Amino acid sequence: MTVADVFAGPLSPIGRWLYKRLWWVEHGYERARASESAEGDTRLRIFFVLGLFGAGFVALGLGATKAALFSPYGHGVELTAPAANARADLTDRNGQVLALDVPRFGLYVDPREMAFPDRVRAALLQAVPTIAPEKLARFLAGDRREYVIGDLTPETQAAIHALALPGVSFEEETGRDYPLQRFAAHVIGFSSRDGFGISGAEKAFDNQIRAAGGRTPVALSIDLRVQGALEGELARADAEFQPDDSVGLVVNVRTGEILAMASLPTFDPNTVTGFDRNTMTNHAAATVYEPGSVMKVFTVAMGLDAGVATPDKIFDVATPLVVGSQTIHDLEHGPGTLTLREVFTHSSNIGAARLGLMAGPDVMNRYFRAFGLFDAAPSELLESARPLTPQKLTDNAVASMSFGHAIAVSPLALATGMSAILNGGVYRPLTLRRLDPGQAPATGHRVIQETTSLTMLSLMRQNVLEGTGTQADEIGLRVGGKTGTATKLVHGHYVVGKNAANLASFAAIFPTDGPIGADRYLVLIMLDAPKANAADKGVTTAAFTAAPTAGRVIDRIAPFVGVRRVITASDLAPKPAPTAATSGANEQ
Amino acid sequence: MKLSGVLTRKVRGFRVIDLAAMLVLLALALTVYAFKTSAGRERTDITDIETQIHDESRQVRLLQAQVVRLESPDRLERLASQSGQAPVSARQEVAPDALATVAAAPALTPASHP
Repeated sequence: MTVADVFAGPLSPIGRWLYKRLWWVEHGYERARASESAEGDTRLRIFFVLGLFGAGFVALGLGATKAALFSPYGHGVELTAPAANARADLTDRNGQVLALDVPRFGLYVDPREMAFPDRVRAALLQAVPTIAPEKLARFLAGDRREYVIGDLTPETQAAIHALALPGVSFEEETGRDYPLQRFAAHVIGFSSRDGFGISGAEKAFDNQIRAAGGRTPVALSIDLRVQGALEGELARADAEFQPDDSVGLVVNVRTGEILAMASLPTFDPNTVTGFDRNTMTNHAAATVYEPGSVMKVFTVAMGLDAGVATPDKIFDVATPLVVGSQTIHDLEHGPGTLTLREVFTHSSNIGAARLGLMAGPDVMNRYFRAFGLFDAAPSELLESARPLTPQKLTDNAVASMSFGHAIAVSPLALATGMSAILNGGVYRPLTLRRLDPGQAPATGHRVIQETTSLTMLSLMRQNVLEGTGTQADEIGLRVGGKTGTATKLVHGHYVVGKNAANLASFAAIFPTDGPIGADRYLVLIMLDAPKANAADKGVTTAAFTAAPTAGRVIDRIAPFVGVRRVITASDLAPKPAPTAATSGANEQ
Repeated sequence: MKLSGVLTRKVRGFRVIDLAAMLVLLALALTVYAFKTSAGRERTDITDIETQIHDESRQVRLLQAQVVRLESPDRLERLASQSGQAPVSARQEVAPDALATVAAAPALTPASHP
């Protein structure tokens, strides 16, 4: 059948057009011969094919040139993909490294390649004592290559390699190193061998650290210099007073950035096994304490802001206050009446309880909730603990909470709420994320008026000048603060007495002067159950334990945070000896 | 000369155009060979350099960790206290505008230092 046969029948216009085209191609050679142009057409086809090949060569040449000139080789672009467990470096706010990935080696044994497995076993156990002998013996008795141990340093790997043991090989792996060891361990945290954050910032920023794939460092708000001063002074207090545990926090209250966070005892994130639960716990975030008289900062701020009292309002503290089943005492009676200022500087429990009762449960509920005292501190740290609060705000609970009993909060929550009181009245979560220069802090929400905030700064300054916080005063740094010496519950009862266990805390703020929107730094020190010693005359109140510790921290960190000293003649004058009222006796 | 003349002219039985095409082909082949050989050498060099970079990077990471260990604040504090060093007392600080007053004051004897 020919094409003509196919189209023999009646055709549509498209069919006719196709028929003509096909027939024109079919008779092309006959037409060329008829017009005597067959030779010319052949040459044309040759040139056409030559042109195609030429174009192909040119394209290939251009491709080769591009590959040669614009190859990623030698242009600083790494072609090797990061390891699956690669994590970005963690740095402090100034770029100082806190945690980084380092090369490590995994050790493998293959008994099929060994003539004398016992010799290999003895040599390996001597070179790496952490290898479990039973496990190694089991592997050497097998018939395949096995992974024995990982995380070997290059030095150890080289030492084993030099032994020239048959059937022993290595594979490179990535390990996480915490070169600061026990320093800042709780805030840095640690990660697992397979590259997942377990605690601290390693857990808090796990997604960001892993997403960075080991290339872009993740900066924390921590300042290593401030952290060093805090941990140094906390360790000194630890040696001096031997508390069960201790906590320190330094916060920029304007931005909400945490500049330092310490918890003692501490651990080494490089070798997390072998530490007990208490040591591994970040008490700054994961433990709740009854804070004691530090809570009077919240009570007084509430009373002033709600219009319940003014700083000069008189309170009767002459006799113990009976509320329900409890009787509230001030150990140091002093005058029968105190102004609210004096209630604060003498840390009068009776005065604070009276103020709390005047405000009432509704006002207290509203303010304390706004200060974040009824919830876990909003934080990147997953270990942030929920507080213990009364189920119902009875008069008894209101009175107790006014001076820091009947409520237990984490130091982180305490610092968050206190920052709101001291930064002009805006509550914003504290953060471990560094803010870039000029970057606005989180918006937050207003909880008290600016005027109340200014009054609280003034009261805290007064407390350091003439109240329970005098030991924290540092020359020219305009320090304010509030002590807290909370008696501890033992078998359901508060034990009062000279040697009774207590929680000594001091919340300091500096500088207390300057515009309300200025950078200001909160230093919170908590010593859980400090022990009496000769140096502090057997007194373990916060005035003699936590307050001087906070003062020393402030003295050391002021240059790092840019607070200049303003030294006046009164700063250089001798300080008056502390009285019973200013030693924090009422707090017990 | 016409184009058809260039295409049909012969030298010792070979058309000039064929000889020219042969020479171009030979030149192309030699060029490609030269470039490929050169690229192979470059690739070997690159691999060597990459291996060196990898090794150096490992060393840099280890040295970085070592530097952080040596500069750890608690270690520096320990070393400083062992050698009897301490921060300058705030009582010894003076503002620049008070320097004239200090200069005018009678010199302090060592015993009178605070």
